[in-house]
This record gives sequence, C-alpha cells and structure tokens, in this order.
Amino acid sequence: MAVQQQDTATFVETFVALKRNEPAWLADRRRLAIERFSLLGIPTTRDEDYKYTNLKTIAAGGWSPSTGSSVDVPATDYVGEEAARLVFVDGNLASSFGDSSLLGGLESRLGGVEGHLTRYADFESHALTALNTAFFTDCAVIEIPENTVVEKPIHIVWVSTGEAGTVSHPRTLILAGRNSQASVIESFVSTGDGACWTNAVTEIVAEENGRLDHYHVQQEGTNGIHTSVIQGLTERNSYISTISLSFGARLARNDVNVKLNGEGAECALDGLFVVNGNQHVDHHTTIDHASPNCNSHQLYKGVLDNEARGVFNGKIIVRQDAQKTDAIQHNKNLLLSPKAEIDTKPQLEIDANDVRCTHGATIGQLNAEALFYLQTRGIGKTQARHLLTYAFAADLLERVKVEPLRDHFEHVLMRALSEDPNAEETHA
Amino acid sequence: MLEVKDLHVRVEDQEILKGISLSVGKGEVHAIMGPNGSGKSTLANILAGRDGYEITHGSVTYNGEALLDKAPEERARDGIFLAFQYPVEIPGVSNMYFLRTALNAIRTHRGEEELDAVDFIGLVKEKMKNLHMDDAMLKRAVNEGFSGGEKKRNEIFQMAVLEPRLAILDETDSGLDIDALKVVAAGVNSLRDPERSMIVVTHYQRLLDYIVPDKVHVLAQGQIVKSGGKELALELEKKGYGWVENLGADSQLATA
Repeated sequence: MAVQQQDTATFVETFVALKRNEPAWLADRRRLAIERFSLLGIPTTRDEDYKYTNLKTIAAGGWSPSTGSSVDVPATDYVGEEAARLVFVDGNLASSFGDSSLLGGLESRLGGVEGHLTRYADFESHALTALNTAFFTDCAVIEIPENTVVEKPIHIVWVSTGEAGTVSHPRTLILAGRNSQASVIESFVSTGDGACWTNAVTEIVAEENGRLDHYHVQQEGTNGIHTSVIQGLTERNSYISTISLSFGARLARNDVNVKLNGEGAECALDGLFVVNGNQHVDHHTTIDHASPNCNSHQLYKGVLDNEARGVFNGKIIVRQDAQKTDAIQHNKNLLLSPKAEIDTKPQLEIDANDVRCTHGATIGQLNAEALFYLQTRGIGKTQARHLLTYAFAADLLERVKVEPLRDHFEHVLMRALSEDPNAEETHA
Repeated sequence: MLEVKDLHVRVEDQEILKGISLSVGKGEVHAIMGPNGSGKSTLANILAGRDGYEITHGSVTYNGEALLDKAPEERARDGIFLAFQYPVEIPGVSNMYFLRTALNAIRTHRGEEELDAVDFIGLVKEKMKNLHMDDAMLKRAVNEGFSGGEKKRNEIFQMAVLEPRLAILDETDSGLDIDALKVVAAGVNSLRDPERSMIVVTHYQRLLDYIVPDKVHVLAQGQIVKSGGKELALELEKKGYGWVENLGADSQLATA
C-alpha cells in the first residue's frame, strides 16, 4: 500500500505545481477531484471492475503532460462534410472551424457550462475521471441549441503525439438541447507510437426529446494506453446512441455509462473491437434505468486474434420506479486464435417487477463448415477467413449512420483483417 | 480424367471405404448409388478435399495429377466442384459477393481477367432464369433462410457460373419435390458437355430418370459391389438395396 500512496502523491504534486488562470468554480471542482483521486488511487486488479484489466503501468507513475507542439494531423477526413471540426493535439486546441454557435474552446464558453461541465461524469468514485477532471487542459464543448437539427456531423479529433511517458486528458461536453438532433464523432489518433496514455472523459446530455448520435473512434498507436469514460444522461423522450470502434492501443479501457432519467428515454450502446498481437481491450457499460418506459439496446462485438485479450462487462440497473423497462444486451465474440481470450459478464440489478431484460453472450470460432464451403468454390483459405470474419463484424458497422464513416471503417476492417500475421495462404 | 485406385479411408477407428476403384472419362456421367452409410458421401467429400478423413491406402489422380495432397480451393480452381448435400448458410456474406469472389479466384487461376460487378450480373442473369431463381436471391446472404429447394438450386446455379470440369453432386435430389427435382435436373442437363464429367451421388433411382447416367455404380459397405449401364439403376429400384448388400457380403467372403 505504501507504493500506492506514493504514486498517488506524485499525481497530487503535479497538480499542486500547475499554474492556471480559470474561474473559481472550476478550480474548486478540480481540487475536489484531485482530493478524491488521492483517496481512491489507481484501481488494481483486486477491484472487481478491474479484475481482468491491469493498470499497473499507469499506477507506476512518471506521467508528464506532453508538450503538445504542433504536428501534422493524421488524415481524419473520413466523415465526409462536417458541420464543425475541432482538432486537439495532446489535449490542447490546435484548430477549429465551423459554426461558432455550436462550439468553442474552454475559455469562450466557460460562463455557460458551469452547471454542466464536470457535473455528470462521476469523479467521486471513479479514479480516472477524477484525474481527467483535475488535469484536463482545453475542453471541447458542443452545444446544440434547442429545436436545431445539425445535418452534418461534428467532428472532434484528439491527436496524441505518442511521446513515451506522456499523458493527455481529452475532455468533451455535449449538450443536445430540447428537440435538437446532431451527431458528434470523436476520433482518437496518434502520430507517434510511444508508450503514452490518453485518459478521456466525455459528458453527453440529451434534453427533452433531443437526439444525439455519438461515435468514439479509437485508432491510437499500439504501444499506448487508452482509457475513456463516456457518461450520458437522457431526459424525457430523448435518445443517445454511442458507438465505440476500438482498433488501436495496447491497452484500452472504455467505460460507457448512461442514465435514463426521464420517461420514454432511450439509448443504444454499440461497440466493435478488433484486436491483434498482445492488445487488450475492455468495455464496461452501465445503463441506469431510473425512469419508467425506457429502452436500452446494446451490442458489442469483438474480433480477437493472436494473444489479444478482451473484456466485456455489461451492467444494467433497473430502479424500483422504472416499470416497463425494456433492456437488451448482447456481446458476441469471435476468437481467431487459440491463444486469444475474452471474459464476458452481464450484471443485472433489477428492482422493478414489470420489466423485460434480455442478455446474451457468445464466444466462437470461425465456422469450419463455412470455411470448407468457401474453399470448395475456389476461395483461398486466408481469403475465406477474412470473408467470414468481415461478415461477423460488418453488421455492427451497419449501425453507423454517417455513411462516409461507415465506408471508411469497412475498409479499416478489411485492412485490419488482411494484416493477420497468422494467415497462411495455402495457394501460392 | 478421374482415376480412383483402391482407395481405403478411415474415420477415427472405422474403415468407411474399403478399396474403391473408379475411372471417370471426359464428358461421362457416372451415378453412384447406395444405401445410407455405404460411403457415398465420404467419397464425394474426399474428392472435394474435406478434412477429417485418413486415407490409409490407394490414390486419386485428376487429369494425371495426384489429387489428394491439394487444398480444396486448389481442386476447385482446377475444375472440381462439389454440390453439397447440405449447403452451408453464411450470414453476412451476400450470394453475389460470394460467387463473384469465387469466380474471380478461379478466373485468376486460369489467367483470365477478373469480372467487375456489372459484368458479373450480365453473366449470371440468364443462368438464374434457367433455374427459376429470383434476382433478389443475389442480395441475400448465402443460403441463409433458403428453403431446401432454393439451396439445391443455388448449388446448381453456382455450378453453372463456375463451369467446373468435374462436378460431384452429393444427393442433390434429397428432400426435393418432383417439380423442384425437374428444375434442378434440367439445370444439370443443360451443363452436360463433352468436356465436363459428372459424378451423381444418390440414394434414389428417381433422379436418374431425369439425369440419365452413362454408368451406374452401386456402393455398399464401403465397396463398389456392382457396376453397369443405366439399366442397373432400374434393376436396383426393382430389387432393393438388400440385393446388393448381399452381393457385398458375398464379395467379402470371396476375398476372405
């Protein structure tokens, strides 16, 4: 335990040394957050929620903010025409364009967000959220005014320079006003491939009858660590969807939490992770059905090759008042190698009596009969494997409503599969 | 074209084929008949390259080359086609994408140019019509939700598109009503060609009323117990499989 305390202390010391010029309310929130963190510490595998995901590399400390010098931003023009774009390098705003009524850096909008920023993602009990809250520099704030439909997607690009030993804390706040509709894509990419760490937090609020589609697209370098928290709150008759596409990082841990807080609210949480080598990817979802007549749907699909490791933990809480809840959760996994592994667990806490909660998890290999069938038609074994793997994953991509983004990831998926180092082509 | 010599095959501890010899010439249609468990499907699967069989003795040559060491896809590219007894459903892969990928793999092997989607549609339209298949079938996932008849027609459709040199039809008639059987048989007959050989594996003589073979072999207990012309099928229909099973027992005694 002594070691743990010392590591926590280095984070606190770094915090104390920071010189910031910001409103008192935010400074107060940050102080509260670092205080909570100093008590919580980085979770260990003794913590049930981190049983399979070891954060000891993070706990070992020595993390410094990266310099965030300007870099060539990797190509991220895959979402088609954008309503707005914000680019951050190592957590600092580097460029932006688009409708200024929708977005702004932290400075310009601080007045309006006091009641929202840091109010949804729980730093009281979640150490990484506490760290992000204490340390984030610039912040992406997206406000969709009420009765506004933003047709084109809003794109936030978080670039990591990938310098070893550095950490950045991307922070996003999305406020979808009453009767509004928009899609927001957050892309996490890196220019370098060092052992760096990205620790992101996104807060999303959909006000009454608002609709917000969110995408968390993670293609960071495969030596880095990516931790993220998405915290959604839906009010009456509103809707939030979030799709996680997780291809990069050596260790990725995504917490996706939505509170359905208002009758008739709905959320859809989906994810596709495609991992290889010794990558480790962990999705923890929590849906809190706090009101009656709310629906939630979840589909997480994993493709794991080589010695890759996956974790899925889906918690559904149905409060006593949340009658007529309809919650569906599925996790389907395809293991392409005998050494790949997945731990999957549904967790239901149901206090209401008139609800429908269904869940299911599957773990399988490629169907040998289907492989043989394809081969007897002249399709090589490797290509047959790709075809079947692609077919497994592609139906998740069909849920991506932004067409250019979907097309792009169909290609990314194809490419990820054809890099399969286990592949043996029997036909020269 | 195809020479099978004294083929012995085991699955786990059981000997399934006990010395099969068969010679199929160019353009010939051979029927292999036999009761359930006689080894008919095993023979078909071995020719297509399915895993899980141990070949303990014998050889198979195809166009003068040893066949048994080749991967299934190499055999397919060299012109061998197996119409499955139970066609496999492949969710998420459209029939069109599947078949175009297959055709292009074979065309590339032959040194021909790949076909794009437009050329491909042009090629398959007519062939689908001949088999009474709906255009929508191309967009559906391979065999997913197909009726038994649709699956079998899809097999023959694939054969029509891939234009094999040696087609092996494994119980293509099983489970078909008479109308579906006629459509499938007509499809097969339209593919008869002096350059194309066929092995028709069936339990029932009925199929051979529509696909008339040049030769008929009767398989029982892992051996060919009788070979003859098309009239053998009729004789078999009349006397039943009990007749040939006794022949099999006799021949085993004779060789003992």
